[in-house]
Amino acid sequence: MDLRPVAALLVVAACGRSAGGPPPSVRYAAHVSAGGTLPAAGELKNPFADSASVKQGAQLFVAMNCDGCHGGGATGWVGPSLVDGRWRYGGEDGAVFQSIYYGRPRGMPAYGGILSDGVIWKIVAYIRAQPVPAVVPTQSW
Amino acid sequence: MLSSLVLFAVLQGTPARDDGEWRMPGRDYAATRYSGLASITASNVQRLRPVWSFSTGVLGGHEGQPLVVDKTMYVVTPFPNVLYAFDLTQEGYPLRFKYRPDVNPTAVGIACCDVINRGAVYADGRIVYNLLDGHTVAVDAVTGKELWKTKIADLGEGETTPMAPFVAGNRVIVGPSGGEFGIYGWVKALDLATGRIVWTAHNMGPDSLMLVRPGTFKGGANVGLTTWAGESWQRGGAPVWGWISYDAELDLIYFGVGNPGPYNPEQRPGENKWTNSVLARRPGDGALVWAYQFTPHDSWDYDSNAEMILADLTIRGRRRKVLVHFDKNGFAYTLDRATGEVLVAEPFTNVTWAKRIDVASGLPVVDSTKVTGASRGNIEGICPSLEGGKSPASPSAYSPQTGLFYTATNNLCMSYQAAPVSRIAGTPFIGASTPYSAGPGGYMGAFIAWDAARGRKIWEIREKFPVWSGAVVTAGNVVFYGTLDGWFKAADATSGRELWKFKVGSGVVGAPITYRGPDGRQYVAVYSGIGGDWFLLSGDVRSDDPADVRPPADFAKDLARHTSQGGMVWIFGL
Repeated sequence: MDLRPVAALLVVAACGRSAGGPPPSVRYAAHVSAGGTLPAAGELKNPFADSASVKQGAQLFVAMNCDGCHGGGATGWVGPSLVDGRWRYGGEDGAVFQSIYYGRPRGMPAYGGILSDGVIWKIVAYIRAQPVPAVVPTQSW
Repeated sequence: MLSSLVLFAVLQGTPARDDGEWRMPGRDYAATRYSGLASITASNVQRLRPVWSFSTGVLGGHEGQPLVVDKTMYVVTPFPNVLYAFDLTQEGYPLRFKYRPDVNPTAVGIACCDVINRGAVYADGRIVYNLLDGHTVAVDAVTGKELWKTKIADLGEGETTPMAPFVAGNRVIVGPSGGEFGIYGWVKALDLATGRIVWTAHNMGPDSLMLVRPGTFKGGANVGLTTWAGESWQRGGAPVWGWISYDAELDLIYFGVGNPGPYNPEQRPGENKWTNSVLARRPGDGALVWAYQFTPHDSWDYDSNAEMILADLTIRGRRRKVLVHFDKNGFAYTLDRATGEVLVAEPFTNVTWAKRIDVASGLPVVDSTKVTGASRGNIEGICPSLEGGKSPASPSAYSPQTGLFYTATNNLCMSYQAAPVSRIAGTPFIGASTPYSAGPGGYMGAFIAWDAARGRKIWEIREKFPVWSGAVVTAGNVVFYGTLDGWFKAADATSGRELWKFKVGSGVVGAPITYRGPDGRQYVAVYSGIGGDWFLLSGDVRSDDPADVRPPADFAKDLARHTSQGGMVWIFGL
């Protein structure tokens, strides 16, 4: 791994929940609960949701090559758009964090243990701060 | 006519072969995509009609071309890389077999730009092709039985393998994609009989790893190290995903090498040899004989993976054995293929990054205001865009009859904002945001005829969208190509007059072929199925992923009005 070009960013983002341990389980509002009982799980909250973190998250999104798959401005490339308001695996803080931490099928790598929790949270902060269009145009050119 | 064709075949070092078949991607060792078939002509092509079509069941971009060997058509799909063999002797062309390989789906997330495949090659009774996940397979052409499967590339380093293999003698030559993943680029030669890896040659690094041997290569010692800062060559890209040609007389294979990584050039000072270059190697042992770099210290992602077509041309009164190459950087090059000497280098589309190529030194005269880098901010008005003045994915054709080259081109420009990036192996390593716009004139593509001896455009057919299809030209003096909005077209090879068109099921990013059917008639075949960069940029809804709805790219808003995804094989006849 060659992290030199963005070492300063990574140092800034390294604080927060200690790296290495898995995050607590997450309850997904969109998932079906068996027997009508909600699973014993909680909610993850982003400790880095301030505007400075959003700005650093934007830089990290480029520096760690998130745009290599999700496109400049996260508008989609081989990976899906992250700014269209449509989510396969949930769009809440904890769900987006877990998508980055554990990866997802069909191409999303698992960055947990490679990027610190703080770095991941700042990227989550950037993604969650993007304006979502009320309607994604699908019929007008 | 016949005698001149035979002479041509001898000159090109191509084994005498029936024009009725199509056994390798470029049709012959010289990669001419020229067919001696002449039943379909400029005066009867208006009667061409579809005689058969087949849905591959795959949505990815259908680049590459079918093969036709021994009354059988072979089709390789994008991931999951299914191989179909169709029996051309029976009505409806029923399947002889279908080979469905085990391909690691992890590869889908490591392919930079759609999960395409550029096709197969036939040799010695077997169909050889690459799976996206870094394996080469050989399948018995009659039974469909897998004969061998060799791991050639490492997904963990960001290498995938959509390239079509090339066979020279008993060597299968293969290379990886991954210019956007910071790979350490290479080519490998496999033994056709067993699949064993015979040699591996890197495109940069120390001479020992580049297979540079004293006395064989005259371009200097360890230039693969000295033209890079520190150890940046180890993650410097240099993928090999285009087409290969072979001069049997000189015993040299020719292939283009792709971009250096990352796109931010300030992270890799130096000329970065041999990225963006053509390399000539001995197929037997891989030894490097000569190399020429089209774009030193690339700061625009101008890969040189496009085909190297071999021809014998008269240049300034002298007959020369040449290699002709349309580079992403917008210049068409005519080189002496024995030495790499630059003979002609002229722009074939709108170019702003360089004023010209100095033929004596072989170096571009770069416009310093167009050089990019993280410290230089957003650089605007760079032409061509990084889609290339011509895409390497759209192989051109050469007719010895007209002496002209035929190629798809793009008329796009870009702005380029570079940024510092880090590399995590197996994930992208890019560092630039590069939005596109239409070039001067407002049209985004053209299909052109090119005189490579003089460096002149002879004619062009302008298209609304970028032209991303390969070409085939025939002794009937007809040239075929397709468009992104889904037209398959025929034009007069001499005049460029459009003669015929048919609306296929989706945009064309594949390369047409022509062959003689078992009934003795001439047919033309092509894939439809938009993909590669273009669905990603301009598509709107993926039918296999309803959550993926995106606004089309602002420079090509209405492409999605004309085409959607979906792979099909089309066959046309009179």
